[in-house]
Amino acid sequence: MLSDPITRRALLEVLILALALGPLGVWVLLHRQAYAAESMSHGLLPGLVLAALAGVPLVLGAAGGALVAAGAIALAARDERVGADLGVAVAVSTLFGAGALLALSPEVPPRLEELLFGDLLGISGADLLAAGGLAVAVGAALAAAHRPLALSAFDREAAPSLGAAPARWESALLVLLGVGTVAAAPGLGSLLLVALIIAPAAAALQLSRRLAPALAIAAGLAALAGVGGLALSYYADLAAGASVAMCAVAAPILARLAT
Amino acid sequence: MTLVRTHDLAGGYRPGTDAITGVSFAAEPGEVIAILGPNGGGKSTLFRALLGELPHRRGTVELAGRPAYVPQTERARLDFPVSALDVALMGAYGRTPFYRRLDRTPGLEALARVGLEAQAGERFGELSGGQRQRVLIARALVQDAQVLLLDEPLSGVDAPSAASIEALFEELRGEGRALLVATHDVRQARAWQRVLCLHGRQIAFGVPGCLTPAVLQATYGGELVVLPDGTSAIAVEHHEH
Amino acid sequence: MSAFSAPYMQRALVEILLLAVLAGALGAWIVLRRLAFFTHSVGTAAFPGLVVASAWGIAPQLAALGAALGFAGARERLARDGDEDAATGILLVGALALGALLASDVYRSGAGVDRLLFGTLIGLSDTDLLLTALAAVAALGAGAALRRAWLARAFDPDGVRALGVPVAWPERVLLAAVAAAVIVALAAVGALLVSVVLVVPAATVRLLARDLRSLQLGTGALAAVEGVGALWLADTVNVSPGPAMAVVSGAVFAAVAVVSR
Repeated sequence: MLSDPITRRALLEVLILALALGPLGVWVLLHRQAYAAESMSHGLLPGLVLAALAGVPLVLGAAGGALVAAGAIALAARDERVGADLGVAVAVSTLFGAGALLALSPEVPPRLEELLFGDLLGISGADLLAAGGLAVAVGAALAAAHRPLALSAFDREAAPSLGAAPARWESALLVLLGVGTVAAAPGLGSLLLVALIIAPAAAALQLSRRLAPALAIAAGLAALAGVGGLALSYYADLAAGASVAMCAVAAPILARLAT
Repeated sequence: MTLVRTHDLAGGYRPGTDAITGVSFAAEPGEVIAILGPNGGGKSTLFRALLGELPHRRGTVELAGRPAYVPQTERARLDFPVSALDVALMGAYGRTPFYRRLDRTPGLEALARVGLEAQAGERFGELSGGQRQRVLIARALVQDAQVLLLDEPLSGVDAPSAASIEALFEELRGEGRALLVATHDVRQARAWQRVLCLHGRQIAFGVPGCLTPAVLQATYGGELVVLPDGTSAIAVEHHEH
Repeated sequence: MSAFSAPYMQRALVEILLLAVLAGALGAWIVLRRLAFFTHSVGTAAFPGLVVASAWGIAPQLAALGAALGFAGARERLARDGDEDAATGILLVGALALGALLASDVYRSGAGVDRLLFGTLIGLSDTDLLLTALAAVAALGAGAALRRAWLARAFDPDGVRALGVPVAWPERVLLAAVAAAVIVALAAVGALLVSVVLVVPAATVRLLARDLRSLQLGTGALAAVEGVGALWLADTVNVSPGPAMAVVSGAVFAAVAVVSR
């Protein structure tokens, strides 16, 4: 499997993503932002589609899409008449549907499947470089912000009324979530990328009660899911992104059964 | 005929952990009983137990029919598309089969009794806190229950509404009903017929004269403020909502 | 309108109007009881079932029902520690990955998966219409019979039992009715966009409606108008009704939200 350059590149991509997204996921779950992770990833679809139609690197489309999605979600969540959950649901389904419309209507449609379920094996050098850079940035930021993030995660649980600090760090986390989402979108797709963020992290939090081990375990499980998924896809001739996602999802399910 | 009687009532939300124990009291027609206690001391749990909603319950409870329950207004949804009359008429849901039209008269009469007949068509959420509390009381009136359980009906309520509610309590007493009123206001409690002090376990039950500083101390623990003359004690108001 | 003269368009029109009835009957409750995520989840969870049904030739609604039940069962088991969002999210992405794997293994036609995810304009069968009609009638009936129980529970979950109103089984009926509505909506709008007809119109009218009756009637009317518009758009740009409805209903929601401030 490793002799194939396409697989080698996919392996590199997924390992880099895993090492950043695994720990990111732990923070996301500790701050109870799983729903935000899904919303961001689904909402950026129009960006991916436009990038595919224009022939520019998907990472750029993902970034643009993520910004628009974040803006729409922030606006919708702020309207008290509707309530945060409902507003986000409306914004995300509208954006996602618009992305599908853009993808399905043209004479020469972009490969919607790949935008939805990822194109790990077709990852370009540019996307790999971008993913690598973004993932490293996320990893470094998380390491630097470790202590304030820990405080805001547990502060929030202890005190319902928020001081300025927890809110600010939670916003910072959401920004990092956006960056991680953008990094993962070309490889894993709008629908599946969230698996690598929340599933290994969920398993890690079931297996370890302490923060540092959980972060490490999440990275390890995510990497394992990446390698295992690619191996499965290579030898069983299955879709690569979906295989990685399934392996990631298997982790918390197995952890639940084991504990 | 005693409307409520409990003996050694105990129970909680999880097996093996009691939120309340040793509750024994009786409510006669025409009595307003103040339920005093700190937050988390068991006042709401007692109501749940009386309504049959406590998962684990021991001891005996005798009730003259299903009590009506008046929750704190903050718990009801303010953004709901319902009018004051709609809310009042919910009191009749239990006795009206689904295929029969609701008779609006009991709702309008109940709203009139609480002084809100002019607000019948207004949205519930657009009323003031005191008005909303009165609408919830009107709902209980429509239910026409002999026993009413009220969870801090006077907290955070403007003075005119509070006066109107207290006057209503007197009317309901005259009709022979019994009211159990969870409250933080010890001064208010002294004006009524009985008090029940609850801090997990029952500390005292009897006429307001039994509210000695010792009893209040045992009930409220650290939340008590004892005045310099040593004989009076005032419970500290908590704004938990 | 000449656009609606083709047989497939007339069929799609009947379907979308029936879905508008469902939106009117249940949308208000979905919004008032905060069931939007539940609605979306049932649709997404059905996706692997739809893939299998497509390949094996069994009724998609049946497969969707099976997949939804399996999902509910798995969710019960997985969400024990209190983060339900995470558990649901994990299972939903798992359902999508599973569906993708089954699709790549079972058949490699991209168009097939698109139709399952986003619906179809031209491929609606008589069975689809019949099942939607049945679901609409059932939803209207349940809504009429259980209106008070649902309203009392939605308004005051703490005090509802004290009113002498049944709570447990009306709740199950509500969830079953919403799930049934999702399952029949899958054909036209797809597994990922059921919210755009069942939730978004209701959310829009909610911004304006002052009482329950006008919320329900308004939702049904708006969903019907938006649905017809979406069909026209879908036919014009050659997409399925799901994405078209998403754009139409989303735009209307945004407009109403801004104007009604």
